[in-house]
Amino acid sequence: MNKLILGRYLPGDSLIYRLDPRGKFLITFYFIGIVFLANNVVSYGFLLLFVLFAVYLSKINLGFFLRGLRPMFWLILFTVVLQMFFTPSKDPLWSFGILTLSKEGLVISAYIFIRFVLIIFISTLLTLTTTPIEISDSIESILKPLKAIKFPVTQVALMLSIALRFVPLLIDETTKIMDAQRARGVDFGEGGLIKRIKSFVPILIPLFVSSFSIAYDLAIAMESRGYKDGEGRSKYRVLSWSMRDTVTAIVMLLITVILLFIRSY
Amino acid sequence: MENIISIKDVTYTYPDSEAPAINNLSLDIHSNEWLSIVGKNGSGKSTLTKLIDGLIECDSGTIEIAGQIIDEDNIWEAREKIGIVFQNPDHQFVGATVEDDVAFGLENQGVPRDEMVKEVDQALKMVDMQAYKTRDPQSLSGGQKQRVAIAGVLATKPQIIIMDESTSMLDPNGRKTVLDLIKRLRKEQSITIISITHDIEETQLSERIVVLNDGKVVKDSDPKTIYDLGPELTNFGLEEPFSSQVAHSLRDAVKLPEGYLNEEELVKSIWKSSSNM
Repeated sequence: MNKLILGRYLPGDSLIYRLDPRGKFLITFYFIGIVFLANNVVSYGFLLLFVLFAVYLSKINLGFFLRGLRPMFWLILFTVVLQMFFTPSKDPLWSFGILTLSKEGLVISAYIFIRFVLIIFISTLLTLTTTPIEISDSIESILKPLKAIKFPVTQVALMLSIALRFVPLLIDETTKIMDAQRARGVDFGEGGLIKRIKSFVPILIPLFVSSFSIAYDLAIAMESRGYKDGEGRSKYRVLSWSMRDTVTAIVMLLITVILLFIRSY
Repeated sequence: MENIISIKDVTYTYPDSEAPAINNLSLDIHSNEWLSIVGKNGSGKSTLTKLIDGLIECDSGTIEIAGQIIDEDNIWEAREKIGIVFQNPDHQFVGATVEDDVAFGLENQGVPRDEMVKEVDQALKMVDMQAYKTRDPQSLSGGQKQRVAIAGVLATKPQIIIMDESTSMLDPNGRKTVLDLIKRLRKEQSITIISITHDIEETQLSERIVVLNDGKVVKDSDPKTIYDLGPELTNFGLEEPFSSQVAHSLRDAVKLPEGYLNEEELVKSIWKSSSNM
């Protein structure tokens, strides 16, 4: 579990941490959108500088972001290599059958590489600096307009926050079950593929059963504390939009304008 | 004494079982008393709590809380008067942090936020957990989680607190902290406490013990009378209190007064008998 950086929260305190999570959430998606506006060296360089600046502002070690790339390594390599050898060109540097290596191909694959890095860095930045519960709060507040079409926003939000709350509990439960089964002689991660898959049965079945019993206990506990259906509840956790969030949003707009300018230049 | 809960001729059978879990049970609980409910596994103790809180509906009979017979329409009102602390501290946490969890009950009642902040602080102060306000539940010990659960119950200011084997999963230390806390709270506020337990130490703190067996009340009396039953207690899923076990094994050698002796009394009578020698 320690290898996975993507989706993990790293406690800390810096400007990026203090930004309103709703803003961060939207800006991250917005940024992923405008990455596709970039089309030349200057624009990619500009975006890369911006992302590195954001990483610097977060005061998180760059190593964490590089480790965030790791699970995507094969996908990046695959895409880059494919672009490198399959970009048609009138003036190839080298060619063999359907494989062509050309200057354009190299440039495009470099762009794609940077695009990957940008998208992964910015989303890692979001998850590293925002607690899961803040993310679920922002999803709730972003989805709020959907109430108009009778989408159960409050229920979905509660569902999300309970799900998040139970992730560590279920991980603990899994470790316990695995240890208990090991103590009875089950070998995890040994033997052929079929055998390995089969060895997961003694984990999964008890895990399902215990999740259901936890769900039942929790439902009783919630009801006894007066939970009806999510309507008419007040909220303890509030998000506050401040000056710095407005400033960040303006910076994003400026970046878009600059990007559009560089693009057509 | 005024009755805060009165249960009349209640019967309840679980949908998939043949024998009733609660069988024509009647019980009055006075306000401000500390009542212990004991009994073997499967004697209907937990079913009784669920019935009182309206989490399940009784087949026949009535349950009256604070002078009102509970039915579908007023169950939520009644529930606001009752707070339950459950057995497993892990499975009753709703919030992602300590403060969120304490606020959950208040949120359900639609309490405005400013007031909630105050109430949460106060409740956490009562259980001495302010320092852990922003921690996530996974990083707390069992005893601390149980204290947070009690804070969540206290924040909504119930008149009745039901402890459904709340200390059974805690170590002796955690158990002591939780019980001391309940004792202190009872001194400060007027609350009725119903504690469901297997733990003899807990019943010693109470004013009355009700023994359940097969969904019926078989004994209902003050602790001293119940402990007088001696070895018969094991039939009801209870151990004899330690002082009573000691008295038992000493009875042949040392002359002790009849009946149940608590620790202090036992010490006194041993002193007395040895000074006579």
